[in-house]
Amino acid sequence: MKTGREIGKHSLDAMRKAGLEKCECRVRFTRKDELNVDGGRFSLLRSTDDVNLFLSGIVDGKRGTLSINGTDADSIDEAAGTVMEMACSSETDSANDISPKQPPRSLEKGPDSPNLNLMYSRMQDFIDYSGTNHPSLILEQLILDFTNTRTFYMNSNGVDLASRTGRYTFFPMFTSKEGTDTSSFNYTGVSSLNLEENLHELGNLRSLMKQSTEQVRSRQFNGKFIGDVIITPDCLEDFLSIICMYLSDYHLIKGTSIFKDSLGEPVASRLLTLHSMPLSDELASGYHITSDGFAAENSTIIGKGVLNSFLLSLYGANKTGHTRSLNNGGALVIEPGDSSLAELIGSVEKGVLLCRFSGGMPSESGDFSGVAKNSYTIEKGKIGFPAREIMISGNIRDMLMNISGVSKERVNSGGWLLPWIVAGGLSVFGK
Amino acid sequence: MVLRELGRYADLFTGYTELRVQENRTTAVAVVNGDVIGNHRQTVTGVSARAYSGGLWGFASNPDASHDGIRTVVKSATENARFLSGRENRNSGPLPSKPGRVERDFSTGKPRLSRKDIIGFVRSVDRMITAGFSGVASRTVSLQCLDMEKSLITSDGSSSFTMIPRTILYVSLTTDSGGEPVELRDVFGGLGQFEDVFEKPEDLAERLEQLREHLMRKAEGIHPETGERDCILDADLAGILAHEAIGHTTEADIVRGGSVAGDFLGKQVASPLITLVDFANEARGQTCPVPVFMDDEGILAEDAVIIENGVLKRFLHNRESALHFNATPRGNARAFNFDDEPIIRMRNTAILPGTGRLDEMIGSIDEGYYLMKPSNGQADSTSEFMFGVVQGYEIKNGRLGRAIRDTTISGVAFDMLRTVTDVSDDMKWSCAGMCGKKQPIPVGMGGPALKCRISMGGR
Repeated sequence: MKTGREIGKHSLDAMRKAGLEKCECRVRFTRKDELNVDGGRFSLLRSTDDVNLFLSGIVDGKRGTLSINGTDADSIDEAAGTVMEMACSSETDSANDISPKQPPRSLEKGPDSPNLNLMYSRMQDFIDYSGTNHPSLILEQLILDFTNTRTFYMNSNGVDLASRTGRYTFFPMFTSKEGTDTSSFNYTGVSSLNLEENLHELGNLRSLMKQSTEQVRSRQFNGKFIGDVIITPDCLEDFLSIICMYLSDYHLIKGTSIFKDSLGEPVASRLLTLHSMPLSDELASGYHITSDGFAAENSTIIGKGVLNSFLLSLYGANKTGHTRSLNNGGALVIEPGDSSLAELIGSVEKGVLLCRFSGGMPSESGDFSGVAKNSYTIEKGKIGFPAREIMISGNIRDMLMNISGVSKERVNSGGWLLPWIVAGGLSVFGK
Repeated sequence: MVLRELGRYADLFTGYTELRVQENRTTAVAVVNGDVIGNHRQTVTGVSARAYSGGLWGFASNPDASHDGIRTVVKSATENARFLSGRENRNSGPLPSKPGRVERDFSTGKPRLSRKDIIGFVRSVDRMITAGFSGVASRTVSLQCLDMEKSLITSDGSSSFTMIPRTILYVSLTTDSGGEPVELRDVFGGLGQFEDVFEKPEDLAERLEQLREHLMRKAEGIHPETGERDCILDADLAGILAHEAIGHTTEADIVRGGSVAGDFLGKQVASPLITLVDFANEARGQTCPVPVFMDDEGILAEDAVIIENGVLKRFLHNRESALHFNATPRGNARAFNFDDEPIIRMRNTAILPGTGRLDEMIGSIDEGYYLMKPSNGQADSTSEFMFGVVQGYEIKNGRLGRAIRDTTISGVAFDMLRTVTDVSDDMKWSCAGMCGKKQPIPVGMGGPALKCRISMGGR
């Protein structure tokens, strides 16, 4: 068997033959070509091929799931038998189901093979740019990969979806050092469909590198106050991931999500509109097929502060009685605000520009605390000094309600498109 | 079951080369409030090769571990190395070598349990909670089993076959405190397949009851005061401190990337009470949680003493960094999946016990905190760290007081370790660690209780 559809068809036939009443399968072929730089020098070219075959079957309302990376007929037949055994060993749950019949769909995005010579030259240019413009910056690790993924989803209701995506992704990690003075490390992840731009022009990388060299001379922060925190797009993405976690299957099924009774209710300032846009042309990344076997669609999670949608799978929706989400989340986009970043900074009497947050996992009630990294003080409307050992604490729900500003400017990492936001009422304290 | 004899492929090698065939098998069962919401198995198998040419590496992998698949990945890895070395050749000299032969298989000798038996065990644990515990509003019991089986040969004569399994059961309980959920979790299990790690659900009863008691006290607990405080870090927190805040800064790739530890070799970086070791496979006469006998570069594994009596003694190396620093590699190059290249990782990192007694250490603090269990932890190249703390108590006049709610502790590890004034005479391992650094990898973390000063985050 060579093609994803042939593998999918054989898998569905094998699962039916094994006795499963409802079955689904996803075949994913992945080819990755990855250039690595360590300590500022090229170190590794890595090429990986893999295939993932995911099988899921239901009998008497009981489900079993299995993944293998062999796609020969014998492996699939054995796997189908194992799925049947696993399902029979489980418990009946009426929420178990597979996606209903949908029109067939086949979508593509991005090139299907890398330009290795271009990858090499872009990486070399980045090393040169860093050395020329930021001599104190150490390129701890750079990873530039091109990943081509072909996905096929089929199920016993006749669903037949296919997708291919190809994109470049760049993960730089760096630290600055002068003598024995060292900055905190910093990193980001950016994606591109074609590498037309220099790597340092992607996302907010140029700014992050400059900040890193400033942070060699960070100063101890002393004191304690409750005030405004301006959260940068890179850092905001981490907070949004936490918010999305509370909106997803596990916390809602468990019944402990802080947003469980908030659908249709205000959960944030009216200034905040948050979308999940896996089909956006503005983003290099994204996806076409959801993990529960639907063609992905864009959605608005929070519209002008009101919670429009949870991020529930088909199972999560059946389990909780809420509506299934149109996608799996991710590809997050926040609508721009009316103020410039300079105006937002100018509006803060005493606060912090939070560039990276190293935080503990928030409690089930949404309380969080952690350390502000690569961050700056703000005094009387101006950026102050790069500070170390600042702790910040608050509550996720309160933080969303206390957003007092959203910038006009946004950063597009390829994986998300986000502005700077001002969140008030957070506790800030040093030694 | 992976191919065990790879020697016949050595004639494909044209320079220094590693060839690895690996299979990772995982089993996952998740029961939430009595419902089986996860019932999954995964097998990831394949072959990879890594070749060295002119000071640069090429790597290739494929799920097809047949004769032809193996030939293909060796050829591709060699071509990848030449792609880079054709552009910038380096005269880096031969890599350090410590060849050997290892065969270690930790598979159970007992009959394997059926899927139904294993799900039944997890559900029995769940039923013990519902039957015996009042006040629990929500519960999750989840099982994660991982078997890592691999064969390796290297062109300098090393070969190994290992099967290292790990079985972990997570229990999370939530109670309601005035309309606000309060959660606490515990982790059971460790090295071995399910049959060797768990016998009867009832064996967990005592610890489950302790978990419930701590949860109920936490529900009535307080948010700790912010600022620097005298604290006792219990073993789990000492272990994560050893791993995250110190261990990572001494990984030679991080050192080359600017870690503050790069300036500290041979210097006093901690209280003389602190000795910190990255154990290979055995510690204090016991097999470690994640035993490594030969790493994925074919280096026979040895312990690495990182800090001895407060002095930084060495960094952790792979072959290439050992060459750079003129040091000896001790088996710290590890890869997670067949398609991952080996990178510098810790194995079982622990602070060694001292002579103190935990009760006396608590008794010596007038006002402070006894911090027992972490959630997550992060640290950076400056050794500044942050750990989430999900279980702890205040200390008032030498006695434990009210429980505290979730909080965060932070500090600069090389500063904080100088404040250590006592180290307890016992030691515990945390067996469920999964370290993230490009790839995930199972690690062990351990330690005694430490008396120190540390910054607390409050509400």
